[in-house]
Amino acid sequence: MALGNMKSHAKQFVEPKLQITSMMDMFTIILIFLLFSFSDNPETLTIDNSLKLPESNAELDYKENIKLVLSQTVLKLEGEVISDVQDGIIMALDTENLQESSLFSKLKELKENEAQTELNPDKKKNILFLCDKRLEFKTINTLVKTAAMAGYPNFQFGVLQK
Amino acid sequence: MSKLGCHKRKSVEDADVDLIPIMNMFLVLIPFLLLSASFFHVKAINTSVPVLSDAPSVTVKENKIKLIITLELNKDGIHLSAMSDELTEAQLAEFEFNLAKESQDQFPFEQMYVCLEKIKQKYPASDTVILIPDDNILYDTIVSAMDMARYTAEKNPLFPNVVLSGKVG
Repeated sequence: MALGNMKSHAKQFVEPKLQITSMMDMFTIILIFLLFSFSDNPETLTIDNSLKLPESNAELDYKENIKLVLSQTVLKLEGEVISDVQDGIIMALDTENLQESSLFSKLKELKENEAQTELNPDKKKNILFLCDKRLEFKTINTLVKTAAMAGYPNFQFGVLQK
Repeated sequence: MSKLGCHKRKSVEDADVDLIPIMNMFLVLIPFLLLSASFFHVKAINTSVPVLSDAPSVTVKENKIKLIITLELNKDGIHLSAMSDELTEAQLAEFEFNLAKESQDQFPFEQMYVCLEKIKQKYPASDTVILIPDDNILYDTIVSAMDMARYTAEKNPLFPNVVLSGKVG
């Protein structure tokens, strides 16, 4: 009798249905948000945590450029460490003789390679400076001057959009 | 009659849509998009340094006169002046302003903006500003000055060409 009761209980058991409609709604919203914020720029830009870029209302996308990163401690050209920076002084740059620096020769080399390979003037590369906002102008100016002397008088400053 | 009622009820019964494959697809898509999403939008400001040019100067009509504005950022504030081959010294003196700092670290960018707008209204062809900061001016301040000089509040071009120069002498 008791067994018979149990049997009838087992028959009544209904498999619980997982309510996934609300989860679907949530995922759809997340998916749409991510699709909108998906970077249309194929180049990914890796920025050190120590680098604090200035904020600006600029809306221009950066071009395919040579990246020069100047933080409070290090100067990098295309990811390669060029020099240490101490108290706003770029150690490998002699302000009196910028043309003797390794940065100048590397930029000059890039410019020469570019001249040999790229014939289309629209594809001319510029320099994208990613500089820490706490640096003083004298530090950035030495960098800008070196780049200009190496053949890059037009450049871009990388900023964070406000 | 009762048979018809029964039939109707059956057809209204909810059809279960199998959402599991869609969920699986979402679970793959979302981590992928999260990895490739950029939460910081890096933008660029076009700038240049002064270069020697051998372009000949030409005489132009008054509404085509181009003024080149120089903005000197120094420890006291902003010195704004204008240069042009077409105007006399006396005419250019009208556009010379000394704007004192509002506080120790606050440059008078609002006042500078008003002066720039005034110049732009009078000489709308002008589009270049030369920024000459002192050595100890912070990069953040320079970018703020560029922002103020490049576009109006309504996003119309004010002086979109910014030339960055060190102090000579």
